Amino acid sequence: MAYAYLFKYIIIGDTGVGKSCLLLQFTDKRFQPVHDLTIGVEFGARMITIDGKQIKLQIWDTAGQESFRSITRSYYRGAAGALLVYDITRRDTFNHLTTWLEDARQHSNSNMVIMLIGNKSDLESRREVKKEEGEAFAREHGLIFMETSAKTASNVEEAFINTAKEIYEKIQEGVFDINNEANGIKIGPQHAATNSTLSGSQGGQQAGGGCC
Amino acid sequence: MMSGTLESLSGIGEDGSSIGSDSEINGLAVRRTDKYGFLGGTQYSEGSDKDIRVDVARQREMKWLDMFNNWDKWVSRRFQKVKLRCRKGIPSSLRAKAWQLLSNSKELLDSNPGRFEELEREPGDPKWLDIIEKDLHRQFPFHEMFAARGGHGQQDLFRVLKAYTVYRPEEGYCQAQAPVAAVLLMHMPAEHAFWCLVQICETYLPGYYSAGLEAIQLDGEIFFSLLRRVCPMAYRHLKKFKIDPILYMTEWFMCVFSRTLPWASVLRVWDMFFCEGVKIVFRVGLVLLKQMLGSVEKLREVQGMYETMERLRNIPPESIREDLLVVSLAVTEALIERECTIQVRKWRESRGELTHQPGRRLNGTRAIHEHKRRASAISSGGSFSFLGSIPPPGPLRASSSLLSLPGFLVWESVCLCNVVTVQCCHPVSSSLCSCF
Repeated sequence: MAYAYLFKYIIIGDTGVGKSCLLLQFTDKRFQPVHDLTIGVEFGARMITIDGKQIKLQIWDTAGQESFRSITRSYYRGAAGALLVYDITRRDTFNHLTTWLEDARQHSNSNMVIMLIGNKSDLESRREVKKEEGEAFAREHGLIFMETSAKTASNVEEAFINTAKEIYEKIQEGVFDINNEANGIKIGPQHAATNSTLSGSQGGQQAGGGCC
Repeated sequence: MMSGTLESLSGIGEDGSSIGSDSEINGLAVRRTDKYGFLGGTQYSEGSDKDIRVDVARQREMKWLDMFNNWDKWVSRRFQKVKLRCRKGIPSSLRAKAWQLLSNSKELLDSNPGRFEELEREPGDPKWLDIIEKDLHRQFPFHEMFAARGGHGQQDLFRVLKAYTVYRPEEGYCQAQAPVAAVLLMHMPAEHAFWCLVQICETYLPGYYSAGLEAIQLDGEIFFSLLRRVCPMAYRHLKKFKIDPILYMTEWFMCVFSRTLPWASVLRVWDMFFCEGVKIVFRVGLVLLKQMLGSVEKLREVQGMYETMERLRNIPPESIREDLLVVSLAVTEALIERECTIQVRKWRESRGELTHQPGRRLNGTRAIHEHKRRASAISSGGSFSFLGSIPPPGPLRASSSLLSLPGFLVWESVCLCNVVTVQCCHPVSSSLCSCF
């Protein structure tokens, strides 16, 4: 299907916070408590519409365990957005955010939009991290923030779409050079010619291959 | 053989899992497991596997039983035959014992009575136990043994993985060990599975599960350059779309294809892997890439990084033929080792020293056997006992390319290029080859 843009996302965060479940809820609109542990990387994709434009999100879901960190780093390359996920019922996953953020900042391009996600909001009775704490962390580090539940689907759409909106706005403002694939954005095959003016640079000819 | 069928099945409902429909789960009319114990999921076998004739099966069993009775002789004198029989597939009734003999984990088990219980009694490091517990329900969730939360399968998985973290505290737990341990548990009791896991982690795939995952990244580079020889078309395609080997081979290699192939093929691959070592993992990976990306028509469908990755992550079962997996590609141990030398050099040039030097990799049954023989020849002169229960000192293991078999008091450092082999009785005086 034709798209105006393709954005690459990466989902990061400690093991067991619900990264794969968020992805599945977003791409397939279902919650599957029984699933294989992610080893290495998994993928998902979905089309969304922003400002009347079709945008394809290509999402990389990573392994959370620390030993995989060295491999995860290579997935940051060329990501336009990152969902940094913690589990509101496990404080340690919140405490590790700084390390994740450092990694993300160090290995991604500086314009990457990061959305902080406190997942498992359905488990209110087991909550260990207050919503205000998540908000404060996000404010302090310049991130967007949302609490989600991959189980009930609450805010899942919004999390992915708001991140895309932010990326889209950055494109409009000319912050992203959309002709540089390293930014995690690609212009769709049909739109290459019309959209190339957006970046104000040298056209979108490299998107002509129609790949991805 | 352990399984908790009824218990497992009753547990599924509580979880609200999506195995079949509710009526299938709550009532007795549950979906039948396939012949490997799968209730569903992508590795469920639809009964299309052709069964071999009973008389042929019986004949094969007899041959294997005969080999069991004279195992050392068979390995030392008629190894080609053993190899051939592993390639044909080990009879399922004898698979567990065969794996333990092929990997020599049987000897570890026999020479360490009570060791597993000892490890179990230790409290263990909460840092690892916490992660292990979170992973228990995420291993083959569609297999009857592991479907139930807190069921026998998951309990045993915990025991084995925890025991390993106590056995090798400096290594701890890596998430990719869990599916490997689970496959073993589908065939043998926890204690046996534990020693088998030890052999896989330390002898077959040393360093794969260690912090930093350097060994797997290095094998990724080796794999990619082997692909260039074996299937230039697939190589060029992956290069064109900047698809690094770690993007697709991490799970293949770390889990020895246990989550990638149809189950009948998994078992065949493991039979060969135990016999011939990591070479099989390379070969199967290369065959898969050749199958998926080896022709112009196939490449036409995957014009893009994402499309290619999707194809490699969801390999259609019908495109995998068991007999194709044994295709003898011209990928030998020597070639892999030569490539390893090149890639280690490149690694050092671009990324500096490897921070974690794994132990020496032994290429399957014969190498393990040979090693054992040499070790016992040396130890017969003194009081050293091969395969004892004293783990090698951590810092030494971490700093040089030492043999990683437990209790081996005669240290050996062997470079992977096989150019220099140094043996000595004290690690301090062992010199390392320039490869490492």
